[in-house]
Amino acid sequence: MDRNVCVIAGGMSKWGVRDGSQRDFFQEAAKACYDDNPLLNPKEIDGLLVASAYTERTSYQTHLAPLVAEYVGVKPKNICARVELLCASGSSAIILAFAMIKSGQADIVMVAGGEKLYTPQKWEVFYSELASVDHDWDGGQGLGLPPPVFAMVAKQHMLKYGTKKEHLGTVSVKNRRNSAKNPKAQFQTPVTMEEVMSGRMIVPPLTLYDCCPITDGAACLVLAAEDKAKDLTDKPLVYIRGTGQASVNNMSGNMPNWTTWEALKIAAHQAYSKAKVDPKEVNVAMTHDCFTISEIIEMEDLGFCEKGEGGFFVADGQNDFGGQVPTNTDGGLLGCGHPFGGTGIRQGMEVMRQLRGDAVQQVPNAMTGLTHNLSGFISAHTVLIYGREVA
Amino acid sequence: MSTPGISILEGKYMVTMDLFPQQSKEFNQIYEFYEYLKEGRFTTTKCKDCGSEPFPPRVMCPDCYSTNMEWIDWPTVGTVIDVTEEAVGVPLGFGKPPMIHALVDLDGKRTLFLRIINCNAGQLKSGDKVKLSVFDVDPVPQEVGREVVQIARVFYAFEPMK
Ligand SMILES: [Zn+2]
Repeated sequence: MDRNVCVIAGGMSKWGVRDGSQRDFFQEAAKACYDDNPLLNPKEIDGLLVASAYTERTSYQTHLAPLVAEYVGVKPKNICARVELLCASGSSAIILAFAMIKSGQADIVMVAGGEKLYTPQKWEVFYSELASVDHDWDGGQGLGLPPPVFAMVAKQHMLKYGTKKEHLGTVSVKNRRNSAKNPKAQFQTPVTMEEVMSGRMIVPPLTLYDCCPITDGAACLVLAAEDKAKDLTDKPLVYIRGTGQASVNNMSGNMPNWTTWEALKIAAHQAYSKAKVDPKEVNVAMTHDCFTISEIIEMEDLGFCEKGEGGFFVADGQNDFGGQVPTNTDGGLLGCGHPFGGTGIRQGMEVMRQLRGDAVQQVPNAMTGLTHNLSGFISAHTVLIYGREVA
Repeated sequence: MSTPGISILEGKYMVTMDLFPQQSKEFNQIYEFYEYLKEGRFTTTKCKDCGSEPFPPRVMCPDCYSTNMEWIDWPTVGTVIDVTEEAVGVPLGFGKPPMIHALVDLDGKRTLFLRIINCNAGQLKSGDKVKLSVFDVDPVPQEVGREVVQIARVFYAFEPMK
């Protein structure tokens, strides 16, 4: 059995520095997801994959998937488990749900991702991120929160390719402008280039607006086999066309290249091949803008522009509305925030809306969309390609 | 009143479990790395079958899958490629900002991203030499039978050559 797989519903809680618990946010996201598609009966969902990275640490809760199932009112019978790949937990769950449906192991699978990252002691999140890298080696070097890593990436990219601080600034201005129109996003106000350029120093050359924030929140998406999907939605069908996920190193000392992300190129090649899509055919993209420099390198390594031209590509408006590939149309990580397990699912939800034609800020006639997550010490990359047509 | 061995009750659980790795042989088969570190040596494992020098040290060679590994010394001096200075977000236990990191070419063995200590902001530049610096970190109160033994620990950063 090899079936086509569609995305038929999606929703997210409000993201930000939130009052509430992890389980509260999963319920809010599920409610928004059910409201997105009243034709879907949640009781028919036969699989649940839950994406969360810090659940054991900041919510002191393992065995999370059955808990979420209980809270969101689904009774899975084919799969009920948690998926963890830090910042790419959500898109990993989508890939696994896709594979289960494609192979006939399940018919309708919900993926739900989210985190409660803020604890009553705010230093906790800075501290617990020492677990995100290779704890025994990079963690001991104080490399928990990632700004030093991405600052080094930015310095090296600037040195090698002439990327400018203003290029980084273009990304923050674009994504904050987009998030200001997304009521669920953490940041509801745009920023100007002047504000960005004079932002508080974090790790030179990265200033405040170059870095995504720490975020509480959750998101949900429902996938279904094409034959079920035809009955379960009255909106245009959105298919998952191809996926790729690659890792070539974990510990920083084994990173092959700081300015060309080899694992991203491998994951993208896999996804494009399976989807039978050329990078130039992608109409809208959600890429992992954990830092402004990330989005610039992603434009290059996803094949949207030539290597080294990413900074100039974004400064030219080529990844904004009206350009070649409008990117992070909902605000991205820089605008929406980044509750690790939720991010890949938010990206899938925004691409679904863009391809259905009901996004808040719509890319006209979008037929093909892409999502990309990076995770850890830039050590794993995850790419999914969605389309209005099957591969 | 404290309960022997349960360091959370002594307010020490996080510093002993979280910041730095467990280094005693009961909890880490590559404990010799830390024994050598105490002697000022920076080591890794070399595969006796294929010659590969994986880092971090391993129980099994990731290239030929042999478990026939031996300890070898690596250089303790490297050359700075570039430097970052973290003003905001330094994790607890790593001192006051800025926390300095450098991408260091360890004499061709690896390019390591290392914490630099004993160094002022703005001091370090590309091309400068840095050397291994070993320091004590919080010991672990480890239960051994009915006793609690304080297991001494070390860790490493690099520092500018004078
Ligand atoms: Zn070998």
